[in-house]
Amino acid sequence: MAELLHRTRSLCPICLKPLEAELRQRESGEVLLEKTCPAHGSFSVPVWRGRIDFAAWTAGAQRLGPGEGLHCPDGCGICAEHGRGTCCALLEVTRRCNLFCRFCFARGGEAEEEPSLEHLKASVDDILRQCGTPLLQLSGGEPSLRDDLPELVAYARERGCPAVQLNTNGLRLAGDPDYVHRLAEAGLTIVFLQFDGVTDEVYRTLRGRDLMDVKLRAIESCGRERIGVTLVPTVVRGVNDKMLGEIIRLGASLSPAVRGVHFQPVSYFGRYPNAPKDDMRYTLDELIDDICRQTGLPIDCFRPSCCDHPLCGFHVSALAEPCCCNAAPAPAEPCCGIVPLPPAPPAPRKGQSAAEENRNYVIRHWRRSPSSEEAPTSPSAKDGQDLDAFLRLVRTRSFTLTAMAFQDAWNLDIERLHSCSLHVYSEGKVKPFCANYLTSAQEESEAPVLPQ
Amino acid sequence: MMELICAKCGIPLEKQKTAFQYLGYEIYEDLPRCPKCGQVYLDEKLVRGRMHEAEVEVEDK
Repeated sequence: MAELLHRTRSLCPICLKPLEAELRQRESGEVLLEKTCPAHGSFSVPVWRGRIDFAAWTAGAQRLGPGEGLHCPDGCGICAEHGRGTCCALLEVTRRCNLFCRFCFARGGEAEEEPSLEHLKASVDDILRQCGTPLLQLSGGEPSLRDDLPELVAYARERGCPAVQLNTNGLRLAGDPDYVHRLAEAGLTIVFLQFDGVTDEVYRTLRGRDLMDVKLRAIESCGRERIGVTLVPTVVRGVNDKMLGEIIRLGASLSPAVRGVHFQPVSYFGRYPNAPKDDMRYTLDELIDDICRQTGLPIDCFRPSCCDHPLCGFHVSALAEPCCCNAAPAPAEPCCGIVPLPPAPPAPRKGQSAAEENRNYVIRHWRRSPSSEEAPTSPSAKDGQDLDAFLRLVRTRSFTLTAMAFQDAWNLDIERLHSCSLHVYSEGKVKPFCANYLTSAQEESEAPVLPQ
Repeated sequence: MMELICAKCGIPLEKQKTAFQYLGYEIYEDLPRCPKCGQVYLDEKLVRGRMHEAEVEVEDK
């Protein structure tokens, strides 16, 4: 019998009815989210495999108070009860897409009327009114299909967005350098580049075509225009979970154009090929352990998010320089290309200030510094140098490993949702990401199945 | 710059290359220092400015 750790709230994956739920831990360390719907039966889904101590990792979690979260996520728009301000506000600028991916939270590619530029500008104004000054992520569909995107970026920056991030598959950035130039001129700060692996096979499996060359050209193009690139792999067991170290190594070798890797273990909402079985789940602790095994990075350089719930993400601050590989056992490759910075003690924060600090952190690390503040070629940061040279060097070589584990109808934990600082703007409402894109198991998913 | 006097030794400070160690990193800066006892003067602008920036860069968020 698994030991009861904690009571929380969730949903029935079939009818989305709110349910009481329990987190239970097996002797192996595995943690399950369990719930029973009177109409559709009992559900149990692994949320932690036990490769890292669950209690220690989640010690900073903000628990739901009595009566809190009872209405989540029904009728969700951020309410006074919500535990976090907005770190990043996501705005969908199109539903069109030039790929048809097996996994897509937004079901991109579905025909729908395109919002006008004026409508999107009004949305930016409303986001700023409701959310303060968040990092603005332009998403889709594939947002770069809009020719007027540079105008929207410029508008958002003029209105006070401290940074604008483009969530993209990179196809247009690779093939249209003039477009990238216009985006840079408009003030685009960060490109969040879908980047699932280092071989064409991975892209054929997940995205339906060869894309490796496209990704590298997109990075080169952004590098030329000094737009910081974050590589964003969707991690799927059996497809690219053995390639995490290689993704980090490649990213680090492309520093300072590439500023880090942001891993997203696959979740099951929107479009996905098959309903999730327990053994297909890829939990945050598995991801961390696999990265450590494939790179030699020590496990203690990984810290839970200081802003969102600890089960929603991690971060590692590092510098892109050889070599960290003094860990035992020796990693498969000679070096992962990054040196983790000494982690500060965990300091979970709450409310608006947590979101602001998180926003400042990601913007500082994911953008490129002005060329005058970058170090050209210099020695290791460990070698003694004057303060100005040191500052230039650490800014230039900053490299982060981060992750965000999204929730779906099976593993949704209202307590996690309650601490979410990634918000989606939709029809005047600001909603936590996983509440906005939640789909029930009954909704048909038209994605092609994964090859065995 | 006005002359700074070491409070302990009563002699003027001199600019000297001074090493800082912070979380495993070594950084040098020319700073007013007592030639006798080695005491260093850190002005507020440096501490709240570039030194704070360096701390933020090498510390975790």
